[in-house]
Amino acid sequence: MRSLQREPGVLLALLAVVALVAIFIVYPQVRVVLTPGSAYGDFLSAGSWVRPLGNSLQVMALSTTTAVLIGFVFAYAMVYTDMQWKPFFRLIGILPLLSPPFVVAAAYVLLFGPRGIITYGVFGQTPIIFGLLGIWGVQTIAFFPFAYQLIADVLSRSDARMEQAARNLGAGPWSVFRTVTLPLSRPGLGAAILTTAIYVLEDFGNPALVGGQFTVLPTQAYGLISGFGDLPSAAAVSTILLSLALVLYLAKIRLDGGQSFVTVSGRASSMPRPPVPAWLSWVCFAVCGALCAMILLVYGSLVVSAFTLTFPVNTAFTTSHFEYVFSGVNGVALRNTLVYGLTAAAFSSLFALLAAWLVQRGIWSGRRILDFLLIMPAAVPGLFFGIGYATAFNEQWMDWLNRGVLIIISMIFWNIPVGYQAAVAGLRQIDRTMDEAATSLGASSLRGFRDVLVPMLGGSLRVGFVTTFVRAVTTLSVVIFLFTPGTTVATIRIFQLVNDLDWGGATAFTVIDIGLAMVALGAMAVLARGRIALGASRA
Amino acid sequence: MTSLLDRRTFLKGLGVVTVAAACGGAATPSPTATAVATKTATAAPVTGTISVYSALNQSTNDQFFAAFKTAYPGVSIDLLPLAAAGELQTRITAEKASPKADIFIGGSSEFHDPLGKQGLLEAYISPNAKDIAAQFKEPTGLWTGWYTGIFGFISNTDRLTKELGGKKPSTWDDLLDPAWKGKLILPSPTLTGGGYIFIATQIFRFNRDEAKAMAYMKSLHANIAQYIPTSPGALTLIDQGQFVGCPNWSHDILTEKSKGNPIDLTVPSDTGFEVGAISIIKGTKNLAAAKALVDWSITKEAGDLNVKLSNRGSTRTDVASAPGAPSLTSVKLVNYDRQWATDNKTRLLQMWQTTVGL
Repeated sequence: MRSLQREPGVLLALLAVVALVAIFIVYPQVRVVLTPGSAYGDFLSAGSWVRPLGNSLQVMALSTTTAVLIGFVFAYAMVYTDMQWKPFFRLIGILPLLSPPFVVAAAYVLLFGPRGIITYGVFGQTPIIFGLLGIWGVQTIAFFPFAYQLIADVLSRSDARMEQAARNLGAGPWSVFRTVTLPLSRPGLGAAILTTAIYVLEDFGNPALVGGQFTVLPTQAYGLISGFGDLPSAAAVSTILLSLALVLYLAKIRLDGGQSFVTVSGRASSMPRPPVPAWLSWVCFAVCGALCAMILLVYGSLVVSAFTLTFPVNTAFTTSHFEYVFSGVNGVALRNTLVYGLTAAAFSSLFALLAAWLVQRGIWSGRRILDFLLIMPAAVPGLFFGIGYATAFNEQWMDWLNRGVLIIISMIFWNIPVGYQAAVAGLRQIDRTMDEAATSLGASSLRGFRDVLVPMLGGSLRVGFVTTFVRAVTTLSVVIFLFTPGTTVATIRIFQLVNDLDWGGATAFTVIDIGLAMVALGAMAVLARGRIALGASRA
Repeated sequence: MTSLLDRRTFLKGLGVVTVAAACGGAATPSPTATAVATKTATAAPVTGTISVYSALNQSTNDQFFAAFKTAYPGVSIDLLPLAAAGELQTRITAEKASPKADIFIGGSSEFHDPLGKQGLLEAYISPNAKDIAAQFKEPTGLWTGWYTGIFGFISNTDRLTKELGGKKPSTWDDLLDPAWKGKLILPSPTLTGGGYIFIATQIFRFNRDEAKAMAYMKSLHANIAQYIPTSPGALTLIDQGQFVGCPNWSHDILTEKSKGNPIDLTVPSDTGFEVGAISIIKGTKNLAAAKALVDWSITKEAGDLNVKLSNRGSTRTDVASAPGAPSLTSVKLVNYDRQWATDNKTRLLQMWQTTVGL
């Protein structure tokens, strides 16, 4: 990229990105943090946050480790092995991202609780799943798809020729993996660890439902608001979370230093990857199979619940729950969910790509700040993101603004981190000579970005789109403070049904919500095929 | 990721009512909603749209507001249903720069009272409020109580029989029996309205001897396996037999039992109760219609309908309780000072947290 002065187009794009980030990420958080009457000092010195902080760190270390490990195995299996059923595994690997609040965590308890259908019914065990172990297990499954997607994107872009070369020089499969594959996947691995760790830190739903007495920072913050109406202290907890995210971010910057991970340079490679030993394929297959069996069990129990009168007490078949779901305002909620989710996903993934390009390729001061600000929303519990928006954008002069638009904007910016991380990791793999070739032939930087880089970043774009979409259609905490009668969404309806103790209705709604989301993703995949040159054919 | 938990929805719907109050004050309930509607429409038509934040259950919302429409055909309602009174309270606070609601209905009065103290509610003493006892309403009219819910105890019948010889607790002290160890759960006192009412109930049970009440909560803590983030969530766990018993809302326990779950309700003596409220948001653009909804919710017909839909009680003495449901007169209640309990909530919850080490 040339200097900004010489490229007004780039300068304008940068200013626009900075302005949007300032208005829609920074400003609402500032409004939350600067809640009048802030009793920060009192709260911080009282020290009631110390134990939740310790708990949060413990859970973060455990869940991130397992989620990234499993995500890596899953990604490796999809990209490197020639095992069977890959499309099936890919599909199931997305499911845990589609977990509307309450319902999925409740299904875990139903299956694996002290009197769970599996644990007690099948094995006669009464495990204590409430507490650290429960959170660890549930979060591992809930968050491995983030790691899987980020790592798979990077692995799939790594150049098979390097590995072939290593093999030809006599290296065994293990040493190729250790000295070539693993180092080249570091941008993705780093992004995966950072993103997963921050999401685990921010996670509220799982600790609330299976955490028992094991309080983490987000559950403490929620308790402060709902039990004590103490927004200032809760905001202080939120600030602690943000500080932790900043520390993680700085640690990541330190770790991957200024190293180069360029693997895409010039000519596209058509060379196949070196074959993976059969036994390794089988191990990968076994791990993926076990994981998917577990996921299917949980989601399968939802489907069964949706088709039975009162699962598990009365298992008579019925379609009445579905009939209910398709009545009244529920149709509006489903439509809104899809429209908001798809719109937010499209804008979020494109914005993430543009921002990543400006940050990763740009040479201007303050890049690091923008870089962090774009990862920060991951560390903001949805609750605070929603309260921030409700406070910052609920002014009389803004009443003309359609609430649906505000909800979409909140989804765009709350969910930007994964797509952004994917795009940055992708750009780090693509040699600068690629875009420089375009600019030296007379194209502007923006044109080089659009015509050369964007087509090569199809995978990253897809990661951003999928993640934003699934998070948008399953979020409750952000929307709960913003929705209006005409802009209600599926998660709000599911939440109503859960509180009405209507498990059948709640699961039927969940099944439809997830089903529609899968159909929408499938349709997008078909539409995108062929358009995105390098991305479409890969895992 | 997402989620807020919520607190239960405390309330449920209103009943059908007739409100002559709209005619100007002297409420003479008419025999049927239709009759009233006619009267209202001709005498003093209230018109326009109001936006209602409702913490009532979905099933109650539908029929309740349909009945209101019958009584006031000129008023249309933009309903924002969210069965989580705490979130609605937070929302109303966050929206104070430009209020989006005219009415906040449902949820224990503990969720309405702080809004009144922050100056976010419009005081209104409905003419119909003369039929409501003083303990069920805010004296200046910031909120009016229109239904009641009694705290009871749910037990899983199978496990209770097998593991505790079928012995249900007749007093809250019975729950300290070591036989209950690891088999009890309680809605979280910090996250749910019900959990806090349980603590306040213990304090009133010991004549406001807070030390004794906390000693009780500490002993009880030893028997409690989990504090559950929502009251309905706790009921589900007992339905499934994951745990054996849980203090919870009587009306919801009855509703769960009617679905065929293997559970039962008992109401230990000296129990507490909630008062579900309705309030008008300050800055409402349609005060007349908002007042009409308040007037209507505290009529006998609204009370009767709500009892039928939700198994809850009414703050009106002329509304009979649901079949099999406890009423304020049929069970032994503590002397529950609601204002004191609301005003001391933060202090007591902190005391409890320190006592049990959470």
